[in-house]
Formats: sequence, structure tokens, C-alpha cells
Amino acid sequence: MHRTSFRLIPVALASALLAFGQDWPPQTLTVSGDISSPLVLKPDDLLKMTRQKVSVPDQDGTTIEYEGVPLRDILIRAGAPMGKELRGKALASYVLAKARDGYQVVFTIAEVAPEFANEPILVADKRDGKPLFGYQGPFRLVCPNDKAGARSVRMLQDIEIVRLQK
Amino acid sequence: MCGFRSKMTKLAALLGSMLLAATALLAGDAYSWNLPKEFPRPYVPSDNPMTDAKVELGRYMFYDKRLSVNGTQSCASCHKQALAFTDGRAVGVGATRESHSRNAMSLVNVAYAAVLTWSNPKMNRLEDQALVPMFGEHPIELGLHERDALPSAMRADAKYRDLFSRAFPGEKDAFTVTNAVKALACFERSIVSAGSPYDRYHYLRDDSAIPDSAKRGEVLFFSQQLSCFRCHGGFNFSDATATERTADRAVEFHNTGLYINGSPNLGIYEFTKAPADVGKFKAPTLRNIAATAPYMHDGSIPTLEGVLDHYAAGGRNGHTIPTRII
Repeated sequence: MHRTSFRLIPVALASALLAFGQDWPPQTLTVSGDISSPLVLKPDDLLKMTRQKVSVPDQDGTTIEYEGVPLRDILIRAGAPMGKELRGKALASYVLAKARDGYQVVFTIAEVAPEFANEPILVADKRDGKPLFGYQGPFRLVCPNDKAGARSVRMLQDIEIVRLQK
Repeated sequence: MCGFRSKMTKLAALLGSMLLAATALLAGDAYSWNLPKEFPRPYVPSDNPMTDAKVELGRYMFYDKRLSVNGTQSCASCHKQALAFTDGRAVGVGATRESHSRNAMSLVNVAYAAVLTWSNPKMNRLEDQALVPMFGEHPIELGLHERDALPSAMRADAKYRDLFSRAFPGEKDAFTVTNAVKALACFERSIVSAGSPYDRYHYLRDDSAIPDSAKRGEVLFFSQQLSCFRCHGGFNFSDATATERTADRAVEFHNTGLYINGSPNLGIYEFTKAPADVGKFKAPTLRNIAATAPYMHDGSIPTLEGVLDHYAAGGRNGHTIPTRII
């Protein structure tokens, strides 16, 4: 770890943690950006959507079962370009996944589109049948086909869709 | 015909595996780890399966001061259960009062340790490691002489005759160094921590098991900003963890910002001779960490708060190596 990163714990994170036990952590997942229908999803909203389960190996060799909603379904619901709309300039679009601690990763929109890579990336809210909590939840991404786990963002808070060409 | 042969082969294999299982049960080989379901089974070398009889012998020997050159120390002298199998000293002191250069490591969950000691990338079998404190001379720990094998006073003890014969049934002379280290290794592997308040919170979802301050600490521990989990992650809070299914996992060693020119502790550099490896050590498990002060490979930090301050400061004054901490 670089020494400066240790010193510069964002004030936002520190002050947010002070409120721990009250409204912490936030129980919503926002979907925003260059889309027609921005969303603010609560745990109950995900329970009403089509659910899927994926099993992934943990570092220790055990298997974890995550349950949640496919990322593509959330993108479709938010009006992100999918299906016949995902061509031409729309293919220069990406999904920015942001965690509560500031961690961010990027996917191209074609990665999750059924017409292209069709990656079964999940927005999970349960692990081995139990709701995610603490440093894991209440939402996280699970990328079962990634060899490394670094894009399976814990504490997922925001999903932003960015169109580079409009 | 081929189908019949295939069925007979499968039947023979099934009978063979049942016979092996029955033989193991008769020999007392059935060992219960009593692990929570979230915990993987540790890796155990095939030439030293766990048995209750070996664990019992290993435990008895672990506390026996006759295992030292002058009868003053046992394994437990530096690995006290009350201190999570450490000794409370900055660095260990051997039977002849010679100081070790490093802090006595906890044996808690050592069955999951992918490598042993603070910085020996080659040492990964407890059976081999046990020989170091027993017979090593740099420094002297228990101070036994190889020519003497196990002390004769132990051989004369009827208790040992009984324990060795039950741990290694069928052997003409079970009282050997090889068997002694096997039994010690089995006892060490039996030291498993899996029922802490954190485990009750994290695995059993008991919100009352730990205070809110600890829950805030957990979020910070696993945050991008602090990233403690990068070296101390997983169920064992150590990236140098191996399990039954990950026995061949490559281990990373980390620069902990303690290296000072002239230090006797140069980390894995002592084995690799690569300049970039100066000051790199294993990330030990954090289980039972509250009981294992003082901290770091040289025992130079008295408290956990001090360890956090050390990392927050980016290492110790005089830390001059070109690579970054961690």
C-alpha cells in the first residue's frame, strides 16, 4: 500500500462511519448516467425482479452461492442501450460500478449484453442464502467468469452508464 | 463384456475404498476437526494423517521440559496457550538463555499456514519445522543434540511407551524423532480458532457478538483506503493460508516497513538474495491477535494501536528501502 493512501482516508467515509448503526450502510443502489430511466433500487425491489444464483469458488477452495439479479436486467430496466439499440455509437458505452468506499471498476456495456459477451454478472444481495451485510453488502457484484475477484465489487452503491459517443 | 468388466472394476474400487476406511477406523485414524461449515479443512500431508492418538502424544510432548538440553524448556515455554501460543516477549529466549532474533509466532490455526516461520519460503511442513527448535544451533532453542536423538529420560518413561505405541501401532520401535515430530505436528494442527465473537457476528449473523466500533473497524479493514484485507484477508486473516484444496497456493511476502540497515532480520532476502526482497515477511494470521503482543517479526511494537500507527506513518524512521510498504 502506498503510504499516502493510508493517510488520506476520505472525510466522507470517516464521517459516514460515524453514523454507523443509524442509517448506515445506505440500503439503496442508484442507477444513473446516460439512460432514460434512472433508478433508486431498494432490497425489496431486487426481490421482485427475476432472481438468479451463481456459485463461485472462494480463495480458500470452498464454494460460495450468491443470489441476486443479473446486471443486464437492471441495465435494461434503466433504459441503457441493449438489444437492437446496442450498435454503432452505443457500443462506445461503459458501466461504472462504484462502491461505498470509493472503489470503482468498469465494464463495457457489450460485456453484459446477450448479443455480445453475455457475461452472467450478478448484482447479488444474498450469500449462501443470507442477506449481505457489513463490508460485503447490502449489494455487491459477482463476476463468475473473471479469473480474479477484483471486479466483483463489494458494498456496491452506484451504477453509472456512460455513453462516450452520442 | 466391456460393460461387465467396467462394473466389476467399479465394484472392486468401491470395496477397496470401504476396506481402507474400515482399516483407518480400526487404527483410530478417524479425526474430527469440529470445524464450522464455513471453514475449509486444512491441508494435511498424506504421510502424517491426523489421529487422536498422535494429537494426544504431541500435546504431552509439547509441554514436556525433558525435550530441552537442560530440562528448562518445552515447546510451551515460547508458545503459551494463555497468550494464543506466544510468549509475551519481544523475541524468544532459548533453553541456554540465547535470544532469538524474532518474535515467537502464534500457533493458532497453524494447520492453515501455507509457509511457516516469519520468512522462510521453503518451510511448509510442520514436521520439518519442529526439528528447528529441537536441534537448531543458530540460535539454540531447545538445544537437543542430534547425536542423542530423543532424551533417554523420555524413553524410560512408561507414559511415553504407551503414548508412542498407541500413536504408531505396529511399529517395532516407535520412539523415534520422526514419529515425535509427526505427533507434535498433529497437535499443532489441532489448535484451531474458529469460534471468536467475530465468527459469531460474521458467520452466524449474531449482531450482538461484537460492538458497533468493531463493525466500523471491519468496514475500514476491508475498505479500499486501508486495504488491510489485501494481506490479512480470508477466513484466516492471512494471505499465506493454505487449505485442503489450495495446498499449492503461491505465497506472497510483504515489506512491513521495519527494515533498518544492519538489522539481523532481512526477511526472505536471507533465502532469495534478491534486493527487492529485503524486509519482506509473511502476513501472519490475525486470529487471537489481541493476545499475542508484542507485535511484528521483531516484537518491536507493544500494542495493536502502535501497529496501526506504524502503517499509518508509512513505516519506521530509517526505513530506506526503495520498495513501497506492503
